[in-house]
Amino acid sequence: MKKVIALIVAALMLLTCVSALAEGFEIVVVPKDASNPWFVRMNTGVEEYAKAHPEDTIYQKGTPEIDPTLQYQLVMDLVAQGVDAICVVPVDLESIEPALKAAREAGIVVIAHEGAALQNVDYDIEAFNNELYGAFIMDNLAAAMGEEGLYTTMVADLTNGSHNEWADGGVKRATEAYPNMKLLESDPRVESHDNGDTAYNVAKELFKKYPDLKGIMGTSSFDAPGVARAIEELGLSGKVFTAGTGMPGDNAELLKSGAVQYLTLWDPALAGQAMVALAQKLLNNEEITAPVNLGVEGYEALEFKAGSETVLEGQGWITITADNVDSFGF
Amino acid sequence: MKSIRKFTGRVEFYIGLVFIALCLLIQVRSGQFFTSNNIVDILSALVVPGIFAIGEFMVIVSGGFDVSFPALASLSAFATTKLFLDMNYQGSALVPLLVAIAIGAVLGALNGLFIGYFELPAMIVTLGTSSVFKGFMQGTLDSKQLATIPQGMRDFGTSALFVAKNATSGLTSRMPMTFICFVAVLAVAWFILNRTMFGRGIYAVGGNAVSAHRAGFNVKRTRFFMFIFVGMISALAGMCRTCMMQQMHPTNMLGMEMNIIAGVVLGGTAVVGGSGTLLGCMLGTALIVVVENSMILIGIPTVWKDFFVGALIIIGTGISAMRVYIANKPGANSLRKEAVK
Amino acid sequence: MSEYLLRAVDIVKTFAGVKALQGVSLDIRPGEIHCLAGENGCGKSTLIKVISGVYQPDSGYIEFNGQRYTSITPRESIAMGIQVIYQDFSIFPNLTVMENLAFNTELAAGHKFVNRRRMKEIAREALSKINFNVALDRLVGTLTVAEKQMVAICRALMFDAKLIIMDEPTTALTRKEVSALFEIILKLKAQGIAILFVSHKLNEVFEISERFTIFRSGQLIATGNTQDLDDKKFTYYMTGREFENVKFKPSFEADKPVLTVKNLTVPGAFEDVSFDLAPGQILGITGLLDSGRTELSLALFGLRKTSGGEILMKGQKVEISSPRDAIAAGIGLVPEDRLSEGLFLPQPISDNIVISEIDELAGALSVVDSKRRQAEVDKWVKDLAIATPNPDNACTTLSGGNQQRIVLAKWLACKPDVLILNGPTVGVDIGSKHDIHAILQRLANQGMAVIIISDDLPEILENCSDLLVMRAGLIVARLDPTTTDEALVLQHMM
Repeated sequence: MKKVIALIVAALMLLTCVSALAEGFEIVVVPKDASNPWFVRMNTGVEEYAKAHPEDTIYQKGTPEIDPTLQYQLVMDLVAQGVDAICVVPVDLESIEPALKAAREAGIVVIAHEGAALQNVDYDIEAFNNELYGAFIMDNLAAAMGEEGLYTTMVADLTNGSHNEWADGGVKRATEAYPNMKLLESDPRVESHDNGDTAYNVAKELFKKYPDLKGIMGTSSFDAPGVARAIEELGLSGKVFTAGTGMPGDNAELLKSGAVQYLTLWDPALAGQAMVALAQKLLNNEEITAPVNLGVEGYEALEFKAGSETVLEGQGWITITADNVDSFGF
Repeated sequence: MKSIRKFTGRVEFYIGLVFIALCLLIQVRSGQFFTSNNIVDILSALVVPGIFAIGEFMVIVSGGFDVSFPALASLSAFATTKLFLDMNYQGSALVPLLVAIAIGAVLGALNGLFIGYFELPAMIVTLGTSSVFKGFMQGTLDSKQLATIPQGMRDFGTSALFVAKNATSGLTSRMPMTFICFVAVLAVAWFILNRTMFGRGIYAVGGNAVSAHRAGFNVKRTRFFMFIFVGMISALAGMCRTCMMQQMHPTNMLGMEMNIIAGVVLGGTAVVGGSGTLLGCMLGTALIVVVENSMILIGIPTVWKDFFVGALIIIGTGISAMRVYIANKPGANSLRKEAVK
Repeated sequence: MSEYLLRAVDIVKTFAGVKALQGVSLDIRPGEIHCLAGENGCGKSTLIKVISGVYQPDSGYIEFNGQRYTSITPRESIAMGIQVIYQDFSIFPNLTVMENLAFNTELAAGHKFVNRRRMKEIAREALSKINFNVALDRLVGTLTVAEKQMVAICRALMFDAKLIIMDEPTTALTRKEVSALFEIILKLKAQGIAILFVSHKLNEVFEISERFTIFRSGQLIATGNTQDLDDKKFTYYMTGREFENVKFKPSFEADKPVLTVKNLTVPGAFEDVSFDLAPGQILGITGLLDSGRTELSLALFGLRKTSGGEILMKGQKVEISSPRDAIAAGIGLVPEDRLSEGLFLPQPISDNIVISEIDELAGALSVVDSKRRQAEVDKWVKDLAIATPNPDNACTTLSGGNQQRIVLAKWLACKPDVLILNGPTVGVDIGSKHDIHAILQRLANQGMAVIIISDDLPEILENCSDLLVMRAGLIVARLDPTTTDEALVLQHMM
């Protein structure tokens, strides 16, 4: 009797394996949009990972513009297609939730990135602890500002999840570690709408209105470069400073000209790979216990965020300066 | 006296009042509006929306709506930038500008063909071509952000006509060379609309297309060439934007059409076509640009920005609508009871 | 030189198998005022389009100044000196008088650029042709209808016109403006310009034209000197029917008024209007366009806010602040512009008839009883002789006269005590006009109180038992139609 059961179990296991091999899982990465270089870089990583894991169908699919409605639609379409896992970088947390809920109800594995506050996910991967990354940007800004003076923060939108957490983390860091730095109370957070031209115009306005303003902490990859353009034009180079996320390829000249001293970053290619790797683990019914090792650089010892059972945080940040900007290849 | 009343009876006068009131408000709140560098900043921010508004103005005067110009501008500018990047072009910005304008003319001709010769409604056609342009750019051309642009274009975008310096704060603002493009387009559009029979034909078609045909205007050709012109200047605006930002982001311009249309209508251009002036169109657009770029100066918290911009559009159009309402109010002429008896 | 300036001979024009013109002819002498009359759809407009080169005739020919053409293009037509002034005047309301006057000439000359001085000269010259005085920089949209028409006439004169065709030129004009137009027409005649005046209004034909041509159903019925024409003949030629004008004699006996209006005032429109109306009477209210007559009808139907005075129905004071109140009080209104106010044009005829009594037809659960609805519809279609093959067709398929009957049916269906009609026969052909008058007289004799608001004086004098004349918002005279003539009424109106 035992033999028979063992045989059946073995046969079943074999069957599962074979079917998995034959069909594989369909894992789709949904970025905020398809043309932003950040997500172009993510796509590079995803494609690389797909090549290394031919057993599953892995690809990235983005909407033509950054638009919460379009993204919602795309996720709903994928749910209808019946893919196995969706890895999403949400544009707007509130509007994407219903789509993710539908996905999970359909039995699809949902992994998010930059969406720590999302409810309807299996796991959310952050390249790092958002608060710590914010603190890290602030360290860079403080170094540029000489650890003193008035500063403010810029996010893509006030509804954006991660940007605001970074900004909060930055402000917290400044309060704790840099007693001579002061947050601009009347305009503590401004928006750039992920648009370099808006960041540029908003920065110009800020410097006009507040002659004492010495630094702007950027979050979106459009913020610091846009602010730097304003600094350069207004003749404020060397007097006011900005730091924030930015792509090395896009900002090599700004870094080299000194308009920006430091840009911070994590590698979207690696973040994309980490999401897919985690999705594979779940689809293969592996148990997730911290520290999680996804086999991707910077994501080898993910820890749960304090108080959360879904948000995993890595240690994936890097600093880009004029010296190392050319070494990234993207 | 008569000419004063005539002037105060115009929509431009009221929108001008709103504009001045807003400028004064910003000045009072920030002390920064009437500084040389701030005015230069505003003018420089006006370049791209200003050129777009001129094109939209012509289309609305002719009795239609164009929602395709951001996509048209994006496609023309993207294709041009990519082309010259790929060939490692080292010359001045003139050639790329001309190429973009030529692409714009072809795309505009597509609009003009459907709207002018096939007589389809402009709104529907441009909604369609807008998607076609976007699709072509993102699908066929596989558009990605271009982080660098050819040196000639970069020089054109960053070179300054003059630099305004604020004596107190020491801030400097560049008046970009692209401002010349804006002024040139404005001058050409003014000349076409007011000094050529083609331009008067645009007004005539917008006023009454059947009458225009009977009067001897070639209605179809008028619409066709107008959309070519609109395509050309939209492409130019796209290139100005690209040069000024020193990078080409294919989707950053999309979605601008709503604020542009709002500005044109705010300036007293009749949505049913036929009437409006370039002066009003520019005032309306400038009002929107100033509002968009002065929220921090006024001290409006970021969360309230959209609300305030929307409210201003409603107030602006409301004031001109109110003027019309008062003029037509029944009882404006009192009874001549005495005369009867 | 031929006796005739223009001859259209045996013109046949067919559209999709339907013969719009079945071999009609029209002769116009140089410098004469010729009236082309006929009911809607008789082929008048088609012939105009053949003459102006818009349509090519299937057979027949056109002779101009003795030269024969089998077909002409619009350009040739203009070159010969034929100008058409359409009902909409083909003007640009958004442009100045100067531009409206000068565009045609400038375009014909092939000018590419605007030369304001040249355009001003053209415009001045055009205005001088009929000594019309208007500021050149005014927007045409701000002019009155009559002034717009003058602009159109001036423009037509710029092309050395020998024949000016005016398509229903008096439709939207006040009486005074019509007189002014006729003066202009006489001036043009004095300059040797022939006028083809298209109209279906009897009195205008008599007043202005020297010769007439009448079409009916695409055929030439009569042509000749206007002085040989009389009222009866004209009507017969137009409709193919004989009518007798019946003067209204009230026969319904009632001693108490059904409607009493006391000191009613709408600021800016009329003041202090008082009258009463008994069942079985037809009250006429007349006055110029700005006399307040239309506003009075709207106020009685709750569409204008009154600032003083009261309305009593059967001795009871009623508050009327909306059409709903008016209907509840038993007042119905057939509005001035039936096309925009009275009918749901794209909807079926049947729905239009029952719309105002829909509450009554509804049974339990507010569902409309379809049998009762059908009976009601059939009754009215028959009663009012609405010419339709199927009551479920849309109202747009009907002629003006039949549409007006539907508006009537709609109101009669809810059996009002007082029915107000504003311009009941404007734009209605003669046959229907007679029918509508007969219906109104019949209704009064059945006990309904009717108010007719109109500036068609023969209509008022013939159909009313009592007449109020309004001027500048006041009632200036109460006249007895049996002892009044048109001249006297006009005196009070002006």
